Amino acid sequence: MSPGRAREARIPLAHAPGPGAVRIVEVGMRRVAVFCVDGRFHALADRCPHRGAPLCSRGQVVTGIEVRDGALATGPPDALVRCPWHKWDFEIASGRCAVDPRLRVRRYTVEVDDDELVVSLSNPP
Amino acid sequence: MLVDSDVHVGYETLLDLCDYLDAPTRELVVHSGTNGLGMPTYPWYHPTGWLRRDTYDRETTGVGAQLPGQDLQRVQEKLLDAYDVTYAILTPDEAAAFAVLPNAELAARLCRGYNNWLLERYLEEEPRVRGLLVVTPQHPEAAAEEIRRLGHRDEFVGVFLPGGARVPYGSPVHEPLWRACAELALPVAVHTHFEGVGIAGPVTAAGYPDHYVEYHTLCGAGMYGHFVSILCHGVFERYPGTRVIMMEGGLVPFVGLLWRLDTNWRACRSEIPYCRRPPSEYVWEHVRFTTQPLEEPSDERLLLPAIEGLRPWETLCYASDYPHWDFDEPTQTLHRLPAEWRDAVAHGNALSFYRLGAPVSA
Repeated sequence: MSPGRAREARIPLAHAPGPGAVRIVEVGMRRVAVFCVDGRFHALADRCPHRGAPLCSRGQVVTGIEVRDGALATGPPDALVRCPWHKWDFEIASGRCAVDPRLRVRRYTVEVDDDELVVSLSNPP
Repeated sequence: MLVDSDVHVGYETLLDLCDYLDAPTRELVVHSGTNGLGMPTYPWYHPTGWLRRDTYDRETTGVGAQLPGQDLQRVQEKLLDAYDVTYAILTPDEAAAFAVLPNAELAARLCRGYNNWLLERYLEEEPRVRGLLVVTPQHPEAAAEEIRRLGHRDEFVGVFLPGGARVPYGSPVHEPLWRACAELALPVAVHTHFEGVGIAGPVTAAGYPDHYVEYHTLCGAGMYGHFVSILCHGVFERYPGTRVIMMEGGLVPFVGLLWRLDTNWRACRSEIPYCRRPPSEYVWEHVRFTTQPLEEPSDERLLLPAIEGLRPWETLCYASDYPHWDFDEPTQTLHRLPAEWRDAVAHGNALSFYRLGAPVSA
């Protein structure tokens, strides 16, 4: 199979991203971003559904700020990716846009296989 | 049925309030300067007159009179009876300037006198009229005290704040005022007035306009500042029952402002986490707008598409601005809107907003 038609890519677990980091992999013709949130891996398309920006490769992993019990508080750590262009936030775990429920980033499957991370173009469970 | 959400009444001169003021304030009003206590006012002269020509007798008008010959009888004859108005919401004229007086303690005492005057001269005399309390945003604690003093009276249905101000109304410095309004379930009316006057900020950041026509085109700018401030500071999150009506600031500009604010919120919401939802969502639930002056595009077909973004069928309330020069007559105004909006704009939205009961007959 030519690289352009590949359906999966493998990353040594030692090179997997830690919290707050992103690892970009090419799977076939797609650029896929791998993140780690709360010990779990997630894979998102590197394209913002708002205006097509390179969401993950040029964006920023951030922690949300919210109000709890009337006081400012931080949300789950490193759980959002912020678009580099218009600064809209997306939940890494779900791909959902935090500021416009109509938008969602394409998600892919990422699994641990022994000492490798396997990123595939199939839909996540 | 018709509710007119913006009918200006007022004294002819500040001396008319003397019977309603405490003794020290009365002394100041009578003896300050060489001709009594002067109020800050617009630096522009209206080239054709502030008032509808048929609402006063020019021949009997003294120099400096604000609303010459204005009294309840004239409002009844020229407006309430003439247009079969079910309810009229009375807004201040010069008394709106108390809110931009540098001496906040004096302003609070003048507000107290004016509200007493309004109650006795209009509200207790005519069941078709309701009042807005004039208060001091430059002294929020005194404003809260005045709201609690009279806000429980059925004759008062809200609190009036002018567009001209030292600090935008969403700012935390105004918290006592919002808290008092919430306690009494009273809405706040923000009405263009006295921008660039007294302690108020400039009309716009461009510098002082030279002409009245410029001012009157730009005067909504202060209201836009308050509108955005109230939304961004999460006033409606802290006080979920709070309602705000934006008066005489135009309609079309608010459409674009909301679009821009929603877009900016998406990028900047981490700065204002107490504004949990896109700002426009609070508007539909908490904010209303008055019609006058309804924009007049040269091609009338452009009007409705330009204002649809404000959901006028649920947010818009008819207002005449009587007796000012840019008065909007009710029938003509309402017939510029689609038939299916008219009942809501003529009375439905305002009845609900002001929590007005069954109509009364005079």
